[in-house]
Amino acid sequence: MKSVVTAHKENRMKRGFTFGIGMVLALVLIISSCGSPRGAAEPTLEFDPDQTYNLTMGTFGDLEAAYSVVLRSDHFRSRFPNINVTFQSADFGGHHDRLTTQIAAGERTNDIEALEVAFIALFVEQGDALLDLNQPPFNAPSHIADLVDFAVAQGQTRAGEQVAIPVDIAPAVLFFRENLAREAGANFRDLGSWEEFIRESRKVTGNGRFAVPNASDVALIPLAGGKGGWLDAAGNALEPRGKFMESLNLVAAVRDAGIDADLNAWSGPWIESFANGTVVSIPNGAWWGGALRTWVAPDVTDWRVTYLPGRAMSSLGGTYLSIPASVPAENRAAAWEVIKYLTTTAEAQLLTFDTIDAFPALTTTYDDPVMSEPIPYFGNEPVRQIFADVALNMPSQIVSEYDRTIESIWGSIIGQVIEGDLTPEQAYDLALRQVRSQID
Amino acid sequence: MTAITRMWDKIGFNQKLAPYVFVSPFFILFLIFGLYPIGYSFFMSLFDMRLVGNRGFVGLANYTRLFTVDEFFGTAVINTVILLFTGSLLQHVFAIPMAIIVNSPRVIGRHTFKALFFAPFITSTVATVIIFGMVFDHNFGLLNWIIENVLGMEGIRWTARSGPIKATISILLNWRFIGFNMVIYLAGLQGIPRELYEAAAIDGAGTVQQHRMITLPLLIPIIFFGVSLSLIGGFQLFDEPFVLLGGYDTVGGPGQGGLTIAYYLMILGFKNGRLGRGAAIAWVLFFIILIVTTVNRLITNRLQKK
Repeated sequence: MKSVVTAHKENRMKRGFTFGIGMVLALVLIISSCGSPRGAAEPTLEFDPDQTYNLTMGTFGDLEAAYSVVLRSDHFRSRFPNINVTFQSADFGGHHDRLTTQIAAGERTNDIEALEVAFIALFVEQGDALLDLNQPPFNAPSHIADLVDFAVAQGQTRAGEQVAIPVDIAPAVLFFRENLAREAGANFRDLGSWEEFIRESRKVTGNGRFAVPNASDVALIPLAGGKGGWLDAAGNALEPRGKFMESLNLVAAVRDAGIDADLNAWSGPWIESFANGTVVSIPNGAWWGGALRTWVAPDVTDWRVTYLPGRAMSSLGGTYLSIPASVPAENRAAAWEVIKYLTTTAEAQLLTFDTIDAFPALTTTYDDPVMSEPIPYFGNEPVRQIFADVALNMPSQIVSEYDRTIESIWGSIIGQVIEGDLTPEQAYDLALRQVRSQID
Repeated sequence: MTAITRMWDKIGFNQKLAPYVFVSPFFILFLIFGLYPIGYSFFMSLFDMRLVGNRGFVGLANYTRLFTVDEFFGTAVINTVILLFTGSLLQHVFAIPMAIIVNSPRVIGRHTFKALFFAPFITSTVATVIIFGMVFDHNFGLLNWIIENVLGMEGIRWTARSGPIKATISILLNWRFIGFNMVIYLAGLQGIPRELYEAAAIDGAGTVQQHRMITLPLLIPIIFFGVSLSLIGGFQLFDEPFVLLGGYDTVGGPGQGGLTIAYYLMILGFKNGRLGRGAAIAWVLFFIILIVTTVNRLITNRLQKK
């Protein structure tokens, strides 16, 4: 039998424990209900040319290299001597992870944040984390009419908010090695269809040589690059079915034809394959031309550029600029001036293009003489005209907060089709089931 | 009465409170960085909490969804359990004999072996997985080269298909943690009196019999500790499959071959922005670990009584 003292002690302990748990829960509820104000509702102050603005800008990859040149240029300094910008740069993943964490925690971000398109809808549809630039005093529609249509559409939410402005785009083309193709009796220029591509690819395949690095390289081409377009206007996933079946059938056909080298993207052998003749072609965004020329295969002289088979219009990349809702009201107008300068002035767009090969989103630059210049690396052909033509004819796609989720599901499914574990039909049905399970 | 005590008395400090004040820094920090996040994660699991903002109270919907609508959670649980047996628990089958061998004074250079076996555990996970990714590359990897050129068999598509993905992760886990478990068992072995073995030897027991009748029964508390660590670590498996399968680019690789519960938790929370659902998975995972470690406790208790 317990003594009275022991029982009393136990009761006290129990009361103390209950009290402790109660305190923790109360603390959780109090702190949770407080929440940090996001500042989206704060009125944005007008831009004051007499005030000095010290802004910060979050960038990834080599964007800082380009924008720091642009923002130090005489043209920018003469227009905005009162705006100073400092950069916070990281690699692609690190930049978006940092931004995701800051937004989720309601923390102050940089005044301007560069974004990859898949993050735009995620941040906005889940809680207005980026400012709607259609609203005054930004009035984006009156400034961005000359930006390429499909990219402007990708910067919009399904509700029509313009939350990010395209600064560079990556129209997709087919890069191919002309001499290697000619030696094999193949021709990759202006192919009329993917069937023709596979036929020509068979000619170059053999003796350790392949047409493309991996069958998955063609997976997103029928989906116009996969940056949006995963839901239709009514919100149905993976519709129209035909578009997605085309992607699955194409991947299966490429693998079945044995024309891909089965290399993992960005692995050592993958990178070497562009210089040592293992692969003869790859569909990729315009930026890939800069990579080939500068570090992937600078000594190879026969890389050329042509339209994708069947003149498929696709975009594989691109950068957007945005103003997060946590930016203080007094900095927003100046941040918008910087974004407008980088995206809508030919000087900034062409200087960025010249510095890091980021293809302009501003269509008025497509008439600039620089766009017709012969490019020595690509056999002195005016390849930028092809990039511009693709950019102008790209279809607009609806973006949604589920794009990143669906893209990764699609990546798994494509892997199973390539391995022959699923037929295209089975793959589509499975993908649809998996995607639906993730959508609210 | 010392000057300090007099000073405390002067400012009215109650000596009964002193111990609590002295231990309070730990409890304050624990409350802020330990209990509060735990409580908050439960709070989150009851709400439609998104990456940005809270869409309202949903009750247990985040939990029920995992067992009804979700196409990935079941796969993640199955994968985790398979990897738990082949990756986390299998280590002990190798670690105990290795500890016995390394503990033997007859083994020359046993201290060097200890260091070598323990080295994988202190190697960076990311570096390890990247190197394993190269070794297991189905085109250019060393392992397939050996399988094809030395053994004359067909190469395995280690990271491209669901089954081989699990085999790759299991091999990696065993390689990393066998040495760690070996060191734990070594510590246990050193606590067993040598006289017991001498007495058994006099009674005619062979080496195998000695270890079966003396070593294993006396190691049971250590086995419980080691297995508990492996169970907890195994259910929380994340780093290795995440790095090996390209992070968030695919949902655990082709066929979700490497999707574990913790991996899926991260995908839901930080890729898909569904923090509420991610928190629900964390609590389900907590209860799974609680049940499994309790069962482990019961089994080892019963074995000890024998």
